[in-house]
Amino acid sequence: MRKSDRPVFLNLFRIQLPFAGVTSIVHRVTGVLWVLLLPVATYFLQLSLENREGFNAIMALWENPVVRVLTWLFAIMLAQHFFSGVRHLLLDLDIGVKKQQAVRSAKLCWLGTAIVALILGVCWW
Amino acid sequence: MLARDCHCRTNTRGMLVVKRVQFLGSSRSGLGEWLVQRMSALYIAGFLLYLIIRFSADPVADYDAWLQWFGNGMVRAAFGVFGLSLVAHSWVGMRSVYLDYLHPFWLRLTVTGLTGASLLALLVWMGRLLVETRIP
Repeated sequence: MRKSDRPVFLNLFRIQLPFAGVTSIVHRVTGVLWVLLLPVATYFLQLSLENREGFNAIMALWENPVVRVLTWLFAIMLAQHFFSGVRHLLLDLDIGVKKQQAVRSAKLCWLGTAIVALILGVCWW
Repeated sequence: MLARDCHCRTNTRGMLVVKRVQFLGSSRSGLGEWLVQRMSALYIAGFLLYLIIRFSADPVADYDAWLQWFGNGMVRAAFGVFGLSLVAHSWVGMRSVYLDYLHPFWLRLTVTGLTGASLLALLVWMGRLLVETRIP
Protein backbone atom coordinates (compact mmCIF):
# COMPACT_ATOMS: atom_id res chain seq x y z
CA MET A 1 0.00 0.00 0.00
CA ARG A 2 1.32 3.42 -0.88
CA LYS A 3 1.72 5.70 2.08
CA SER A 4 -0.65 8.32 0.65
CA ASP A 5 -3.50 5.79 0.63
CA ARG A 6 -3.48 5.36 4.37
CA PRO A 7 -6.32 6.97 6.26
CA VAL A 8 -4.76 9.47 8.64
CA PHE A 9 -7.80 9.97 10.84
CA LEU A 10 -10.72 7.81 11.87
CA ASN A 11 -12.85 9.25 9.08
CA LEU A 12 -16.17 7.42 9.40
CA PHE A 13 -17.06 8.15 5.80
CA ARG A 14 -13.87 6.63 4.45
CA ILE A 15 -13.43 3.44 6.44
CA GLN A 16 -15.40 0.23 5.99
CA LEU A 17 -16.10 -1.33 9.34
CA PRO A 18 -16.41 -5.08 9.92
CA PHE A 19 -19.64 -6.42 11.48
CA ALA A 20 -18.35 -6.27 15.07
CA GLY A 21 -17.12 -2.74 14.38
CA VAL A 22 -20.57 -1.68 13.21
CA THR A 23 -22.00 -3.02 16.47
CA SER A 24 -19.50 -0.91 18.41
CA ILE A 25 -20.21 2.26 16.47
CA VAL A 26 -23.96 1.79 16.90
CA HIS A 27 -23.25 1.44 20.65
CA ARG A 28 -21.83 4.96 20.46
CA VAL A 29 -24.71 6.30 18.39
CA THR A 30 -27.38 4.90 20.74
CA GLY A 31 -25.35 6.21 23.69
CA VAL A 32 -25.18 9.76 22.30
CA LEU A 33 -28.89 9.72 21.43
CA TRP A 34 -29.76 8.60 24.98
CA VAL A 35 -27.62 11.39 26.46
CA LEU A 36 -29.79 13.80 24.45
CA LEU A 37 -32.90 12.08 25.85
CA LEU A 38 -31.80 12.42 29.49
CA PRO A 39 -33.21 15.97 29.93
CA VAL A 40 -36.50 14.84 28.35
CA ALA A 41 -36.69 11.86 30.73
CA THR A 42 -35.87 14.10 33.71
CA TYR A 43 -38.59 16.54 32.63
CA PHE A 44 -41.14 13.71 32.44
CA LEU A 45 -40.10 12.46 35.88
CA GLN A 46 -40.55 15.98 37.26
CA LEU A 47 -44.00 16.32 35.65
CA SER A 48 -45.11 12.97 37.04
CA LEU A 49 -44.03 13.89 40.58
CA GLU A 50 -45.07 17.55 40.72
CA ASN A 51 -48.84 17.12 40.93
CA ARG A 52 -51.79 14.90 40.04
CA GLU A 53 -52.46 16.78 36.77
CA GLY A 54 -48.91 16.21 35.57
CA PHE A 55 -49.07 12.52 36.43
CA ASN A 56 -52.39 12.10 34.62
CA ALA A 57 -51.08 14.07 31.62
CA ILE A 58 -48.22 11.58 31.22
CA MET A 59 -50.59 8.63 31.59
CA ALA A 60 -52.75 10.20 28.85
CA LEU A 61 -49.63 10.70 26.69
CA TRP A 62 -49.01 6.95 26.85
CA GLU A 63 -52.30 6.39 24.99
CA ASN A 64 -50.97 8.44 22.06
CA PRO A 65 -49.85 5.97 19.34
CA VAL A 66 -46.99 8.22 18.13
CA VAL A 67 -45.62 8.53 21.67
CA ARG A 68 -45.87 4.76 22.06
CA VAL A 69 -43.91 4.09 18.84
CA LEU A 70 -41.26 6.64 19.85
CA THR A 71 -40.94 5.08 23.32
CA TRP A 72 -40.60 1.68 21.66
CA LEU A 73 -37.78 2.99 19.42
CA PHE A 74 -36.00 4.60 22.39
CA ALA A 75 -36.30 1.34 24.35
CA ILE A 76 -34.80 -0.57 21.41
CA MET A 77 -31.91 1.92 21.33
CA LEU A 78 -31.38 1.36 25.05
CA ALA A 79 -31.48 -2.43 24.60
CA GLN A 80 -28.86 -2.19 21.84
CA HIS A 81 -26.66 -0.02 24.08
CA PHE A 82 -27.16 -2.47 26.95
CA PHE A 83 -26.27 -5.63 25.01
CA SER A 84 -23.28 -4.16 23.18
CA GLY A 85 -22.22 -2.63 26.51
CA VAL A 86 -22.30 -6.01 28.23
CA ARG A 87 -20.27 -7.32 25.27
CA HIS A 88 -17.65 -4.61 25.87
CA LEU A 89 -17.51 -5.44 29.58
CA LEU A 90 -16.94 -9.11 28.74
CA LEU A 91 -14.24 -8.14 26.21
CA ASP A 92 -12.56 -6.18 29.04
CA LEU A 93 -12.44 -9.45 30.99
CA ASP A 94 -10.79 -11.10 27.95
CA ILE A 95 -13.97 -13.06 27.22
CA GLY A 96 -14.72 -13.48 23.52
CA VAL A 97 -11.68 -11.61 22.27
CA LYS A 98 -10.91 -14.06 19.45
CA LYS A 99 -12.21 -12.84 16.12
CA GLN A 100 -14.73 -15.63 15.55
CA GLN A 101 -16.18 -15.27 19.06
CA ALA A 102 -16.23 -11.48 18.75
CA VAL A 103 -18.31 -11.68 15.58
CA ARG A 104 -20.64 -14.23 17.20
CA SER A 105 -21.14 -12.08 20.32
CA ALA A 106 -21.86 -9.08 18.08
CA LYS A 107 -24.57 -11.14 16.38
CA LEU A 108 -25.92 -12.15 19.80
CA CYS A 109 -26.20 -8.45 20.70
CA TRP A 110 -28.49 -7.89 17.73
CA LEU A 111 -30.46 -11.03 18.51
CA GLY A 112 -30.99 -9.80 22.06
CA THR A 113 -32.06 -6.38 20.79
CA ALA A 114 -34.52 -7.98 18.37
CA ILE A 115 -36.00 -10.15 21.15
CA VAL A 116 -36.48 -7.09 23.40
CA ALA A 117 -38.13 -5.24 20.48
CA LEU A 118 -40.45 -8.19 19.93
CA ILE A 119 -41.38 -8.63 23.60
CA LEU A 120 -42.09 -4.91 24.05
CA GLY A 121 -44.08 -4.86 20.80
CA VAL A 122 -46.26 -7.71 22.04
CA CYS A 123 -46.73 -6.10 25.47
CA TRP A 124 -47.53 -2.61 24.21
CA TRP A 125 -49.83 -3.39 21.25
CA MET B 1 13.88 9.81 27.87
CA LEU B 2 15.14 6.26 27.61
CA ALA B 3 14.09 3.71 25.01
CA ARG B 4 12.41 1.56 27.64
CA ASP B 5 10.21 4.48 28.76
CA CYS B 6 8.37 4.74 25.47
CA HIS B 7 7.55 2.20 22.80
CA CYS B 8 10.80 3.08 21.14
CA ARG B 9 14.07 1.49 20.23
CA THR B 10 17.50 3.00 19.70
CA ASN B 11 18.78 2.82 16.15
CA THR B 12 22.39 2.25 15.09
CA ARG B 13 23.16 5.96 15.42
CA GLY B 14 21.85 6.05 18.97
CA MET B 15 18.64 7.90 18.08
CA LEU B 16 15.22 6.99 19.43
CA VAL B 17 12.91 5.45 16.86
CA VAL B 18 9.24 4.93 17.60
CA LYS B 19 8.38 1.24 17.38
CA ARG B 20 4.66 1.51 17.73
CA VAL B 21 2.23 4.32 18.31
CA GLN B 22 -0.20 3.65 21.12
CA PHE B 23 -2.74 5.52 23.19
CA LEU B 24 -4.50 7.35 20.39
CA GLY B 25 -7.96 8.86 20.58
CA SER B 26 -10.21 7.95 23.48
CA SER B 27 -7.90 5.12 24.48
CA ARG B 28 -5.58 7.84 25.77
CA SER B 29 -7.91 8.68 28.64
CA GLY B 30 -6.87 7.31 31.99
CA LEU B 31 -7.67 4.32 34.11
CA GLY B 32 -9.89 6.48 36.29
CA GLU B 33 -12.22 7.30 33.43
CA TRP B 34 -12.22 3.68 32.31
CA LEU B 35 -13.24 2.58 35.79
CA VAL B 36 -15.93 5.29 36.13
CA GLN B 37 -17.39 4.19 32.80
CA ARG B 38 -17.57 0.51 33.84
CA MET B 39 -18.80 1.02 37.40
CA SER B 40 -21.51 3.47 36.32
CA ALA B 41 -22.51 1.08 33.53
CA LEU B 42 -23.00 -1.75 36.04
CA TYR B 43 -25.07 0.45 38.37
CA ILE B 44 -27.24 1.88 35.56
CA ALA B 45 -27.88 -1.60 34.15
CA GLY B 46 -28.70 -3.00 37.60
CA PHE B 47 -31.04 -0.17 38.56
CA LEU B 48 -32.84 -0.26 35.19
CA LEU B 49 -33.35 -4.02 35.52
CA TYR B 50 -34.74 -3.45 39.03
CA LEU B 51 -37.15 -0.78 37.71
CA ILE B 52 -38.29 -3.05 34.86
CA ILE B 53 -38.91 -6.02 37.16
CA ARG B 54 -40.51 -3.88 39.90
CA PHE B 55 -43.00 -2.15 37.60
CA SER B 56 -43.74 -5.19 35.43
CA ALA B 57 -44.70 -7.13 38.55
CA ASP B 58 -46.67 -4.31 40.15
CA PRO B 59 -47.64 -1.43 37.81
CA VAL B 60 -48.24 2.02 39.34
CA ALA B 61 -51.93 2.35 40.19
CA ASP B 62 -52.21 6.12 40.57
CA TYR B 63 -50.44 9.34 41.54
CA ASP B 64 -50.55 8.57 45.27
CA ALA B 65 -48.96 5.16 44.83
CA TRP B 66 -46.27 6.68 42.57
CA LEU B 67 -45.46 9.45 45.05
CA GLN B 68 -45.39 7.00 47.92
CA TRP B 69 -42.95 4.75 46.09
CA PHE B 70 -40.72 7.71 45.24
CA GLY B 71 -40.96 8.98 48.80
CA ASN B 72 -39.20 5.87 50.14
CA GLY B 73 -35.74 6.82 51.39
CA MET B 74 -34.02 3.83 49.79
CA VAL B 75 -35.64 4.48 46.42
CA ARG B 76 -34.64 8.14 46.59
CA ALA B 77 -31.05 7.31 47.51
CA ALA B 78 -30.92 4.76 44.69
CA PHE B 79 -32.24 7.42 42.32
CA GLY B 80 -29.54 9.82 43.50
CA VAL B 81 -26.78 7.33 42.70
CA PHE B 82 -28.57 6.57 39.42
CA GLY B 83 -28.53 10.25 38.37
CA LEU B 84 -24.88 10.57 39.35
CA SER B 85 -24.01 7.41 37.39
CA LEU B 86 -25.92 8.61 34.33
CA VAL B 87 -24.14 11.97 34.28
CA ALA B 88 -20.69 10.42 34.89
CA HIS B 89 -21.31 7.74 32.24
CA SER B 90 -22.50 10.38 29.76
CA TRP B 91 -19.50 12.60 30.43
CA VAL B 92 -16.89 9.86 29.83
CA GLY B 93 -18.79 8.49 26.82
CA MET B 94 -19.29 11.85 25.12
CA ARG B 95 -15.67 12.77 25.76
CA SER B 96 -14.40 9.59 24.06
CA VAL B 97 -16.63 10.33 21.08
CA TYR B 98 -15.30 13.89 20.86
CA LEU B 99 -11.68 12.76 21.25
CA ASP B 100 -12.09 10.32 18.39
CA TYR B 101 -14.07 12.37 15.89
CA LEU B 102 -13.66 16.09 16.66
CA HIS B 103 -10.15 16.90 15.57
CA PRO B 104 -9.88 20.71 15.52
CA PHE B 105 -8.83 21.62 19.07
CA TRP B 106 -11.01 24.74 19.40
CA LEU B 107 -14.08 22.81 18.27
CA ARG B 108 -13.45 19.95 20.69
CA LEU B 109 -12.79 22.39 23.52
CA THR B 110 -16.01 24.29 22.85
CA VAL B 111 -18.20 21.21 22.50
CA THR B 112 -16.63 19.50 25.53
CA GLY B 113 -17.16 22.65 27.60
CA LEU B 114 -20.80 22.97 26.55
CA THR B 115 -21.40 19.27 27.27
CA GLY B 116 -19.80 19.55 30.71
CA ALA B 117 -21.90 22.60 31.61
CA SER B 118 -25.09 20.92 30.36
CA LEU B 119 -24.42 17.69 32.26
CA LEU B 120 -23.67 19.66 35.42
CA ALA B 121 -26.96 21.56 35.01
CA LEU B 122 -28.75 18.23 34.50
CA LEU B 123 -27.20 16.86 37.70
CA VAL B 124 -28.35 19.93 39.67
CA TRP B 125 -31.85 19.56 38.19
CA MET B 126 -32.00 15.88 39.17
CA GLY B 127 -30.73 16.68 42.65
CA ARG B 128 -33.36 19.39 43.17
CA LEU B 129 -36.04 16.98 41.97
CA LEU B 130 -34.98 14.45 44.61
CA VAL B 131 -34.76 16.98 47.43
CA GLU B 132 -37.80 19.09 46.64
CA THR B 133 -40.35 16.34 46.04
CA ARG B 134 -42.49 16.21 49.17
CA ILE B 135 -44.80 13.39 50.10
CA PRO B 136 -48.13 14.67 51.49
